[in-house]
Amino acid sequence: MSTPAEQFLRSAAEKSADLGHRQTIRRAIDTYDGATARGRARFLDWEAARERSQEIKWEAVNHLDQYLLEFEAKVKQRGGHVFWAETSADARSYIQDLAARRGVRKVVKSKSMITEEIHLNPALEASGIEVFETDLGEFIVQLRQEPPYHIVTPAMHLTRHDIAALFKEKLGTGDTSDPEELVAAARRVLRQAFFSAEMGISGANFLVADSGMIAITTNEGNGRLCTSVPRIHVAVAGIEKVVPRADDLAVLWPVLSTAGTGQALTCYNVLIGGPRAPGEVDGPEEFHVVLLDNGRSELLADAEQRDVLQCIRCGACLNACPVYRTIGGHAYGTTYQGPIGSVLTPHLRGIKEFQHLSSASSLCGACTATCPVKIDLHHHLLHNRRNAVETANRSWLERVGFKLWRWTVVDARRFATMGALARAGLRLTNGLGLAGTWLDPARAWTKDRAALEVPHKSFRALWRERRGGA
Amino acid sequence: MAEPDNPGRERILARLKNALLAPAPQPEAGGERRQLFAAVGDPLQRFQQECAANHTECLVTADRIASAAAVRDVLASLPPGEIFVEDTARLRAMASAWQDGRSIRWSSQGGPRESSQATITTAEALVAATGSILVSAACGGRGASVVAPVHFVVATIGQLESDLETVFAEQRERGTLAKNSYVCLITGSSRTADIEKILVLGAHGPRRVVVVLSLEE
Repeated sequence: MSTPAEQFLRSAAEKSADLGHRQTIRRAIDTYDGATARGRARFLDWEAARERSQEIKWEAVNHLDQYLLEFEAKVKQRGGHVFWAETSADARSYIQDLAARRGVRKVVKSKSMITEEIHLNPALEASGIEVFETDLGEFIVQLRQEPPYHIVTPAMHLTRHDIAALFKEKLGTGDTSDPEELVAAARRVLRQAFFSAEMGISGANFLVADSGMIAITTNEGNGRLCTSVPRIHVAVAGIEKVVPRADDLAVLWPVLSTAGTGQALTCYNVLIGGPRAPGEVDGPEEFHVVLLDNGRSELLADAEQRDVLQCIRCGACLNACPVYRTIGGHAYGTTYQGPIGSVLTPHLRGIKEFQHLSSASSLCGACTATCPVKIDLHHHLLHNRRNAVETANRSWLERVGFKLWRWTVVDARRFATMGALARAGLRLTNGLGLAGTWLDPARAWTKDRAALEVPHKSFRALWRERRGGA
Repeated sequence: MAEPDNPGRERILARLKNALLAPAPQPEAGGERRQLFAAVGDPLQRFQQECAANHTECLVTADRIASAAAVRDVLASLPPGEIFVEDTARLRAMASAWQDGRSIRWSSQGGPRESSQATITTAEALVAATGSILVSAACGGRGASVVAPVHFVVATIGQLESDLETVFAEQRERGTLAKNSYVCLITGSSRTADIEKILVLGAHGPRRVVVVLSLEE
């Protein structure tokens, strides 16, 4: 069985050579770029908004225990339940047990990356529960039995024709690729699910400490139906999602909307603080919040990279990243893709297996420049590379190679000698017609490209000739 | 319900406390607080502009009687069937104009039926800067603003606030978050762009949101 690194390299090579795929992604991200440019222009001072958002999340993350306790106390006052899950398995068990005790047979879900992280759907389905993803993009990838392709736009990689063919096969729709008709078809199916499900499961964009409410941002309205119609509502959230005050949302809501989709505000920004209260017309009888650690407390202990926990999952760094734009979301093989995923995944799933993601970057810094909460993403990729060298087992070849490199570059004579040897070796390889074969030491480059042109003289020799002196 | 055992709680909290013993560098404070958004000039004009941009219909009327008539006129264009109305004195007083062959389900009778043709509610506030409507569970319940294909919001000019910051401050004073299990800021009609980033209105929530805004309190 291949390793995650081998799978990544294979998928990345395939996807980057798939020009149709690249065109689909490019069209989607070009649309996003236009919308977010217009969205940022609505701010008098977008940089000030980024700084304010960073301050709010910094305060929350650096007082995480206090704000979580305040949040928990307020939720309980409102009649809700709070469960602290150390691992994905703890979170799954809590929800499975609750569903079993309440006789739940059908669940509707609103889009939530954290339920992907804990692999909730397969666990519920193994318990005999029917699970409906109700966000259109999530519904589409669920029908295709695929993970979401993007944090915000799960079906970004599909054309309307792909979706039309899928709906025709799975839902029995006619021959239409009209987006309005496709949306209407999904609505018809999901409408029945909303009104017959016993449990709704959502994520949370924010946990508001001073109010004991969760905040959910959605455009379609599916998140509202999931949290309003079924008799039980379960919200799953990472512990880092807490913010101190409801007033902070006056900044974070427009910033999230702008960075996520370019909208001034997403259509529905909802605050939910418990089950249906006495005297209210409707709403669930039970409200549960599952707070998930799953490696986040270890990341919190890393003061250098603590700001990664400030992430609001807007997806802006994915869209900005030249690597994501070329290889797409599925090639990463992780729940969270793109720069934030490459930084976060080694912390959540182990640096040994996922250290390769730190190198899936040109270090151009576009992710850091666009991040609305100013996470130092590209430097964290470097930090992870350093940590991987220090803690993960790197190959003996790499270790010997770098030792040799260090031994060479600290001495001018050695450097000149090794340079001459390398040039001679490459000339020989090229001369024998071995370029790009397994016997070519530069195969990593030449397997997909023309052989390197090897200069006859070194840079130092040319310098001496043209400028004189040593 | 008895709380299940949760030994993880103390362990997580202990790890968090321990983790925070090492301080992280604080972002540099930028000195004086800079203004994020330009001030809103004429709130009504801005609200109308923003509504037009986000696909909310905004009907400005002279008074309550005109508001009731405006709702009636739009209702006349909708398919036959039950409508759902928030049970308040204000809307009860207007409802006689809307019953033209339709049955009304009042919020005091329960939440809206899935088959409702339209819902009519009040709002906690309107936001000029973004063309938004703030509703709470007290505005006819959670389903009242999402279940039907058309949602009418009957409001008055006194409810129009300039921006989101002002709305949060005002609602904090009034205790809206504390009194309600559910609050929603609605900005436009339900939509999706999940297919090739093409905008489609009316995904799962209302395709039409109609604000009927009376200039008289």
